[in-house]
Amino acid sequence: MGERVTFWYGCNVLRHGDIIHACLDILRAVGYDASPVGGPDYCCGTVRDANQTTAGGMATRTVGKLNDRGARVVAWCPSCHSHMHDFMEKGNDRQFDMTYLVELLHMNRAKLAPLLKREVPMRVMLHKHVGFNDLVPVNRMVPELLEMIPGVQVVDAGYAAPGYMCASFAVLPKALDDIHANTVRAAKACAADAVVTTFHQCYREIVGLDAAGAVPVYNYIHLISRSMGLPYEDEYKAWKRAGDGAKALIGEERIAKVGIQFYERAILPELKKRPNLAK
Amino acid sequence: MSDRSVIGQRLKEFQQREVERILGACTQCGKCNEVCPMAQYSKAPSQDAKATVGGVLAVLRGEQGSPEALGWIGVCTRSGVCVPACPENVDPKMMMRLARMTALGGRGLPKQLDAKEDRDYFDRVRAFAKLQLTDDELKEWT
Repeated sequence: MGERVTFWYGCNVLRHGDIIHACLDILRAVGYDASPVGGPDYCCGTVRDANQTTAGGMATRTVGKLNDRGARVVAWCPSCHSHMHDFMEKGNDRQFDMTYLVELLHMNRAKLAPLLKREVPMRVMLHKHVGFNDLVPVNRMVPELLEMIPGVQVVDAGYAAPGYMCASFAVLPKALDDIHANTVRAAKACAADAVVTTFHQCYREIVGLDAAGAVPVYNYIHLISRSMGLPYEDEYKAWKRAGDGAKALIGEERIAKVGIQFYERAILPELKKRPNLAK
Repeated sequence: MSDRSVIGQRLKEFQQREVERILGACTQCGKCNEVCPMAQYSKAPSQDAKATVGGVLAVLRGEQGSPEALGWIGVCTRSGVCVPACPENVDPKMMMRLARMTALGGRGLPKQLDAKEDRDYFDRVRAFAKLQLTDDELKEWT
């Protein structure tokens, strides 16, 4: 096994167990001894802008835990990655090298290419944002990764949404409506079969377009995973498409783990939410 | 026993140094506001970019921000288009982030903006983890 790395996946990608599992398999397949950490106990603190004492405490705890692991950190979440760069490492002694997953995969294209054996015949448009690219040029690197997949053709209508990822727009519904409408318009303009997101925060919002029947949506890891023949199922998309019917797909045993009341109050509304495409 | 006053102290000191650097470097030319792709979504759209930036600097000083400044701070989603537009290398993205923290009351100054708190944020993350990971993975990975 090659270099030992910590795969710091973040918090909200826990909606997408298939992405976490696939990332681990991909990292291991290109030669890394990857072990994952994430969830609220490894939160970067970026969601706590309204309380910098709490945010600072979270940053110190998480940097300390990542230091203790004594390995390079590979970040999945763009919020965690940029918060580490902008704030966490400024107030704490970071003792590990840090790389964003897209960068690492891009650096390992020669090892990744022979693993991409299965055809994925699809014209895809990358869902882009203008932000984050100053830190990691994902709008260039992700299409270059996708084009390595046999059958994938990347098309582009020149649209990049504001911000750096879609989840920030949950409190700005008019702007999010514009992103949804512009994404569908751009996908149609370049005759894309599907829209592909870089970040899970975008996938969570944009997959609503899939559930609403506007355009199929994937994350780039889904397509790499499919080409490698990895077996993971995108349950979040299935639940999102099912809406009220998600309960049957999830099953009573798993619903019981989170509690039916919490499921109905805090999870089901997210699964039922559909984009406003009235424009 | 932990002393809350020292929690995140170095981070707060870094933020204060950044605030002072930004207040010293910004000439209020307004370019950052002019190029911002989110400014159109503000509740109080700017009529005067220079004045709006002045309002943001007021927030950083702990003073009351103008409606235009607070409206702009409220819609910043870190596009970063402002960074190369700034002729003084102020890093307006950092300026807006610190202004947001300040306006939300996060830096110990009076709150000027309401944060839309998601009371279920972390519980929802934990719940999805239970739906998506095995018990062993939950124990070892989170």
